[in-house]
Amino acid sequence: MNWKLTQLRSSTRRGFIATTVALLGLAMISAPASAARDEEAEVFVGDIASEAIDILGREGFTPAELEASFRTLFVNNMDIPRIGVFALGQYARTPDATQKTEYLELVEEFIVKVYASRLSDYTDQNFAVLSSQPKGNKGKEVIVASQIEFATGRAPVPVEWWLLKTDDGFKVFDVKVLGIWMAQEQRSSFISVIRNNNGDFSALLAHIEKQINQATADIDVKLTEVETETSAEATP
Amino acid sequence: MNSELGRFSLRATIAILGLGLVLSGCATRPDGANSAAVAAYEEANDPVEPLNRYFFELNNFLDIIVLRPAAEIYDGVLPGFAKDGVRSFLDNLRSPVILANDLLQGEWDRAGDTTARFGINSTVGVLGLGDPATGWGYERHGEDFGQTLAVYGVGEGPYFYAPLLGPAPPRDLAGFGVDTFFDPLTYIFWDEAYTVPVTRFVLNGIDLRARNLNTLDEIERTSIDYYAAVRSLYRQSRADEIRNGVTDVDALPDISNINFTSDE
Repeated sequence: MNWKLTQLRSSTRRGFIATTVALLGLAMISAPASAARDEEAEVFVGDIASEAIDILGREGFTPAELEASFRTLFVNNMDIPRIGVFALGQYARTPDATQKTEYLELVEEFIVKVYASRLSDYTDQNFAVLSSQPKGNKGKEVIVASQIEFATGRAPVPVEWWLLKTDDGFKVFDVKVLGIWMAQEQRSSFISVIRNNNGDFSALLAHIEKQINQATADIDVKLTEVETETSAEATP
Repeated sequence: MNSELGRFSLRATIAILGLGLVLSGCATRPDGANSAAVAAYEEANDPVEPLNRYFFELNNFLDIIVLRPAAEIYDGVLPGFAKDGVRSFLDNLRSPVILANDLLQGEWDRAGDTTARFGINSTVGVLGLGDPATGWGYERHGEDFGQTLAVYGVGEGPYFYAPLLGPAPPRDLAGFGVDTFFDPLTYIFWDEAYTVPVTRFVLNGIDLRARNLNTLDEIERTSIDYYAAVRSLYRQSRADEIRNGVTDVDALPDISNINFTSDE
């Protein structure tokens, strides 16, 4: 490939693109405010993030206390029952009343463990809310874009938040980190377990319970590491 | 690779493939009356799931005995700057493939970035060992022919998990083949032993594995079905790469009304 030729093509093309973008920009200014940012949603996300950073930076806490703080944060701000239903796909109609109750309890426990464990990989970073946009035409869902920034010069990690407006204020339905929606990932696993056990819902319950027990030990180790790092930084 | 070793590995490959086929074969399509099972089967879009799971286990086994130990040694022995040098060098070697796909997708600005990166990093960056281009505003991005096909409207096709390669549904497997043709190294070092391409493939694998030691452990630990989780992660991250990281809000389902009796 001739480098100069590429540059030349690219620059004329760039001029064209710039003009188009400028025209689109003008069109958007005069368009109705339906695509406007949702400041309330952005503040909500910022508050959750600073709370999480605050928990990760606490000194002198036991893993159990850290986990309890995360539990309060998640249960108050996430729509866990909705995530649970979503993760079942069409199998949501199959559990009986007792199984539903047990499932929702297990899902809450599972989400607290998984999210606390994954969050503890990001200690001592900066967080920035970038923008937000409405989703769907019911005015009930908002996507907020943000990123985790690193002092080391490592490329920032993009994080998107899928929020739902409820009577009880905003709730987080899903979080997309590095291109992966977490609830979608769990849905793939949950449905797969039920299907590979010929539709037996109790098999899923057993699997989640087993995973929670396994994760408990591992997460204690991770949260202890977080605590050790924080204390070490505090006393140089 | 000498010819005897080549013959052995060919035989081993045939044996592995044959055994896989005998052991597993196709997933059975569920009974049409069971609508939840049919929906689950279609959502998974994984008609050869038993075979794929067999290859997945095989790769995990190879990972435990070969790749993971190699990656741990690599990670432990090399200082951070050396690992970054290896990564930059491998990334720089891939520039022609990225450029070809930038152009095929009509991404002229990104093609300019790729060209500038290759020019800067090959010279100022000393043969690609450094990455000064990022600091100058030419950030790295990846492209491959699988993504180009997706931009042209080709669907991913049913899921396939290949031995050694990992997730490789038809579109991306075809893309992998075409990218090999775009790659100048394929022609320049067309020696009998394929020393350079093989070394690069192996080193790339070890470096990527070393960079994901914790991430993969974390996913395995927090998944109730590791195989299905990896399938979802692969599809999601491909979709994200194809859209160059921009979320397609309209493609997300409406979750405002789902409950235990809904049909979503």
